[in-house]
Amino acid sequence: MTVTRIIQTTRDDHLIAALTALAITIHIAESALPSPLPGIKPGLANVVTLLVLCRYGWRMAAWVSLLRVLVGSILIGTFLSPTFFLSASGALASVLFLGLLHAFSKTFPKWSVGPLGLGIAAAMTHMTGQFLLAYTLFIPHSGILRLFPVLLALSTILGIVSGLLTRAVLARLNDNPALT
Amino acid sequence: MDTQSRSIPLISRGDGVVIGVAVALLLAVFITLWQPEGHGAEAVVYLNGNRWARLNLFQNQDIKVPGPLGISQLQVRDGKIRFVDSPCPTKLCVHAGWLSQGGESATCLPNHVSVQVLGDDPRFDTINF
Amino acid sequence: MIKAISRIFLLILIILSLGCSRGPTVYHQQLLVFGTLVDIKLWGVKQKKAEEAVAQLTKDFNYMDHAWHAWHAGPLTRANYFIANQEPFTAPPSILPLIKRGTELSTLSGGLFNPAIGNLMHLWGFESDDPPHGPPPDPRAIQTLVDQKPSMKDLTVDGITIKSSNPGVKMDFGGFAKGYAVDRAIDYLRQVGIQNAVVNAGGDLRAIGSHGDRPWRVGIRHPRKEGILAAVEAKADESIFTSGDYERYFDWKGKRYAHIIDPRTGYPAHGLTSVTVFANQGDLADAAATALFVAGPRVKDWLPIARAMGINGAMLVDSKGNVQMTPGIRDRIHFEVDPPPPVSISEALH
Repeated sequence: MTVTRIIQTTRDDHLIAALTALAITIHIAESALPSPLPGIKPGLANVVTLLVLCRYGWRMAAWVSLLRVLVGSILIGTFLSPTFFLSASGALASVLFLGLLHAFSKTFPKWSVGPLGLGIAAAMTHMTGQFLLAYTLFIPHSGILRLFPVLLALSTILGIVSGLLTRAVLARLNDNPALT
Repeated sequence: MDTQSRSIPLISRGDGVVIGVAVALLLAVFITLWQPEGHGAEAVVYLNGNRWARLNLFQNQDIKVPGPLGISQLQVRDGKIRFVDSPCPTKLCVHAGWLSQGGESATCLPNHVSVQVLGDDPRFDTINF
Repeated sequence: MIKAISRIFLLILIILSLGCSRGPTVYHQQLLVFGTLVDIKLWGVKQKKAEEAVAQLTKDFNYMDHAWHAWHAGPLTRANYFIANQEPFTAPPSILPLIKRGTELSTLSGGLFNPAIGNLMHLWGFESDDPPHGPPPDPRAIQTLVDQKPSMKDLTVDGITIKSSNPGVKMDFGGFAKGYAVDRAIDYLRQVGIQNAVVNAGGDLRAIGSHGDRPWRVGIRHPRKEGILAAVEAKADESIFTSGDYERYFDWKGKRYAHIIDPRTGYPAHGLTSVTVFANQGDLADAAATALFVAGPRVKDWLPIARAMGINGAMLVDSKGNVQMTPGIRDRIHFEVDPPPPVSISEALH
């Protein structure tokens, strides 16, 4: 007698898969945009990461982030290229720091960080991680240091935008649980 | 983050902290990394080979440097510095004129006074004369 | 656990990156030695090592200054005394290499660079701690010294004994001692593993290596006006030496008498305000700058000397402000004055 194990995929699994696909799509779309330094992107795919973080916890968010970078780069064809490493370092820095904030928010609920704060933190750490790699490994030229403040400021603005977007989407999802 | 609640506050306390840190970080990064390129904002005065003073070139001032031969007179105006007068015979230091670019320097050798404009990416590393 | 560690690591990275935003920096030190201001810049050297190297250079420069001083009591003045009295003497080790190299360079320059004319230098008042002043010396006194025809070839070096056949010889190495000293300083820095440096002794410099990702940037001061005349980037091992009439001189009745004496006439050379020589060795650049200054502004006079001495390039400014250059220099120089001075390019050196 064969025992057939049926793996039940839950609605959440579907949602996460869909969100990951969305994140990858955004990632690929972003790669078409021109940028001041190769590989430095607006990071709008962060919105997806943030959504997953707020609804499904850090582990899932880390997965989504990782998959986004990996799969995205394979599909674009930049896997293991400098662009890939830049994306990866940004995503890694961002995800790690988000984990920190997430754990912090759990421990001190009064001081919990909302989507806006997370968005800003994610974007800034993403940019910093990318820049650090670019500066130490690729272009150790003191000339590009002058770019960093500008890039950081830009990423902060984008972080605010992505944070607000996340908050809006979260509110929608909360209001309409049926939307999943 | 309580995702069960109906309304999510725009800025929570935690958000406030993040924003505060973000602003501080941005300021710090701009201040440290955004020196004006080439043009020096500061100059160092050496007396007898040792650092004697560090001057802000955007603070107009007149400086008297007491060397072994007497007073070397320096003048700082609008981002530039120069020797106005010096108790040396040849006055090569005065002849050097206004210094403004990072790396530019002038020396009154007999009076042991030397001025160099600092710059992160100086126009000149060394002056031949 | 791993999470916490990686977060902290990241945080530290960010903080460190802000602190060390400059990358390797330049170590800069000024020394009041060798009768001048020696400005030393070292790139990419740890603080402690740089300090030790500069401390040693200070000692070396002081030693050289004492040994080679043309008028303060020391090995050179003693040697000059014996020469004047026509007595053979043991060559002091500190000046023997100077004598040899000085003789070589003098020969190469066709005698225009002549370190044996110390008596003329002294007569004009350029061998004194006091600033030079007029009136010019008696023409007959000048002619007497010129007629003695002092030359480094009058010295015979036999092992370590030196004999002079001409009492009129008085050694004054002011025309190339700085260059020679700078060469020794660079040699020492290389020995201790420092490959990127600029040693600038009173405006004459030798640069080795680079300033990290870019060459060393040199500003050449205007001989007459204030400020910088031209900018040039130093090659990986290059000496840039300038001889001018604005450093040690006196004016008398509207005429300028500067410290570079033409050995053929006994009078200070005139016609040029400054000569900048580009060469590999500092002692060569120094001697050549002196020799070309003596040769004068006519290209048929200075170009053969430049060729004979084997320098890499030269830039000459005459008393009217016209600039002459060798072809290789024209591409490298960027004039900082507006409008740029009139330039004529000579034939190639090689």
